Amino acid sequence: MSSSGSRDGSLGRSRAPPARGSPRPVLSGVARYAVQRLLLIPAQLVFVLLILYLVLDVPVSLTQNPPESLLRIDQGFYQMVFNLFTGNWGTASFVRYANGGGGPNPAEPIPWSWIFAYYIPPSIQLAVFALPIAAVLAYPVSLLAGWSRRPGVDAPARFVTLTGALLPVFVVGTLVLNALFLGYLGYFQDVPSQGLLPADFWFFNHGGYPSWILYQFATQPTGFPLVDALINHAWTVAAISFTKTLIQASVVAVAYVAIFFRHARSIARSVREEAYIVGARSRGISERTLLWRHAARAVAPSFLLVFALTIPEYLGVQFAVEVAFVDPGFGYLIFASLTGGVLSPLVPLVFLMAIVVLVWALVVDLIAIRLDPHGVAGR
Amino acid sequence: MTEGTAPRPAEPPSALPRPSVRERWARRPPGLSFLVGVGMLAVYLVAALSALVVFRSSLDQLPSTVAWVPLENPIGPSAVHPFGVMAGFGTDLFRAVWQATPWDLGIVAGILGIDVFLGFFLGAIAGLDEGGLVDALITFVGDSLGSIPTFVLAVVVFAGLLTVAPQTVGLPVFVAVFGIILWPTMARTVRERARIIAHQPYVEGARASGASSLRILVRHVMPNSLGPVLAQIPLDVAPVFFVLSAFPWYYNCQLPGGPHVPVPPGHLAPPPTPYLVPVLPYFSPLPSNAFPEWGFLLGFGTCEGFSFPGGFNYWWMYLFPLLAIVGLGVAIGLVCDGIERWRHFDR
Repeated sequence: MSSSGSRDGSLGRSRAPPARGSPRPVLSGVARYAVQRLLLIPAQLVFVLLILYLVLDVPVSLTQNPPESLLRIDQGFYQMVFNLFTGNWGTASFVRYANGGGGPNPAEPIPWSWIFAYYIPPSIQLAVFALPIAAVLAYPVSLLAGWSRRPGVDAPARFVTLTGALLPVFVVGTLVLNALFLGYLGYFQDVPSQGLLPADFWFFNHGGYPSWILYQFATQPTGFPLVDALINHAWTVAAISFTKTLIQASVVAVAYVAIFFRHARSIARSVREEAYIVGARSRGISERTLLWRHAARAVAPSFLLVFALTIPEYLGVQFAVEVAFVDPGFGYLIFASLTGGVLSPLVPLVFLMAIVVLVWALVVDLIAIRLDPHGVAGR
Repeated sequence: MTEGTAPRPAEPPSALPRPSVRERWARRPPGLSFLVGVGMLAVYLVAALSALVVFRSSLDQLPSTVAWVPLENPIGPSAVHPFGVMAGFGTDLFRAVWQATPWDLGIVAGILGIDVFLGFFLGAIAGLDEGGLVDALITFVGDSLGSIPTFVLAVVVFAGLLTVAPQTVGLPVFVAVFGIILWPTMARTVRERARIIAHQPYVEGARASGASSLRILVRHVMPNSLGPVLAQIPLDVAPVFFVLSAFPWYYNCQLPGGPHVPVPPGHLAPPPTPYLVPVLPYFSPLPSNAFPEWGFLLGFGTCEGFSFPGGFNYWWMYLFPLLAIVGLGVAIGLVCDGIERWRHFDR
């Protein structure tokens, strides 16, 4: 075990304070931490790309007869890194056939970046709905379950959330989909699956696809189905898009809360035993005030850290829901690429995902430090 | 003490002697939920061991009865078939779930073993060396790997390995890959606890008395950082079965005629026959499409069980594999929670 990182040669030894006469640092602790983390992100992305290169390109290079379905990256590592950082993510010729020869020039292969531009907005729209719902559910439920000393509250909450975390989300999605099907069909004359827009038969029954929808799912001008429906004054389409987004977002939120809860509950439990809470309780402050005025504020930074920690899990949940509801989003694209054996879009997809996760984790960490400046970076 | 041997140094006086295991057991017996969890795990173990004895040579192959394969009028739960029949496989579901038990217990035990070993050890080292080079290295690698959803990374890595040696890469390699991929989450949660422990007065005291870093790690930091490990273990069961079930589900449902998308009345209702034979995705770690495994049964059963829109006609096809998976996860969760509660018996 190396110990070269410590000034005095042993792990965990306290760092020496700065000398009294040393100049004051230009950046504050938080700013220095933010800059360090920001500078680290490109290095982490390169490391992720190195792993992908090693597991995708090198094996195919070593194989004499690779399966036809496995498309190798077919470029050197440095070239791959340069291309990805400069937005050159390769092309996908097969999409022309999948979309009936769509695109500005069917003879030209379509860049992956164009395809991503069609698939990413529905995912963002779903996340914009799902995250607030998850927060509204997770915060009070975790706080209450962690706070309560009664086994009648905590034990069922633990059991339900553990079961929820173990249920594969595609099963939950399919159950919800089937439970809603007939009622939804009767009310909206539409099916609850097939993306965030009405299904194709709904459009055929209402005069065909409007000009602002391409390839039966990509909307214009923004790409966000709900926003574009509102911009184009398609009020019924907007209402259906809103409903579908809400249904999918609820499934995402419930499944994610189950994952979030287990971490958050133990945090709420530890806050319950803090000295200032015990002291306040001994002075006669009501449990309700202690919970919602003091503990709720105290757990916020830790809850944010748990949120940053579980972002990849959140993405996994959302991707599976997108697939279950046949929503043409980021997750659907990843599932289709993986199961179809088309690995060429995976590298840019994972690259984009890693950027989102790393930047989001940094933002959440900074917010947590702002709320609770006692951590390492805040010193 | 026999005459002639060197006298042992006197034990340092301690204000609160550490209670023995027997004392802890006597002062706070394990709760009901812990006993329920142990009981459930015992049932799984008995099922696994009995499957090893009963099925012996045919343990890795589900028998198929041709008459049970078609989806029309599938056989539901009855006295003869307690869990019903899985159409497509053409097999009795009770037998399939039972036969899969030793395989799935082995998969889960292997993955969690690697995950806990790496995550616990690396997380504790990182927490003890907070701000140092070792911490920076472990955090860098862990955060980088952790930025990719587990199921994507697992499938990509396994697909790459499969390309190199398709004949030799199988279930054991999948278990190893998955265990290695899961460690960052475990390590990060352990690190958070370990860095708090590392600043506790008793650790500072041990350090001042000349204890080595390894001793502090093993005697003080790791035992007191066990809480996050126990909280994380049940959660790490979920991604294992997600990968094993989600891709077969998607793959089989996407085949021509798959019932994945509920179809409104009068619109594009394809015959459900072409997908009846279960198919594995090319990167599946399972050796054949007749291999007994809960995740595969669940994925395929979900696809078949929802063949008709708005109905839950073939509920048994996904319910029993699902119960087997959730039951195992809940049992592990109850046992872990019970151990954690018992460790802090004085709170």
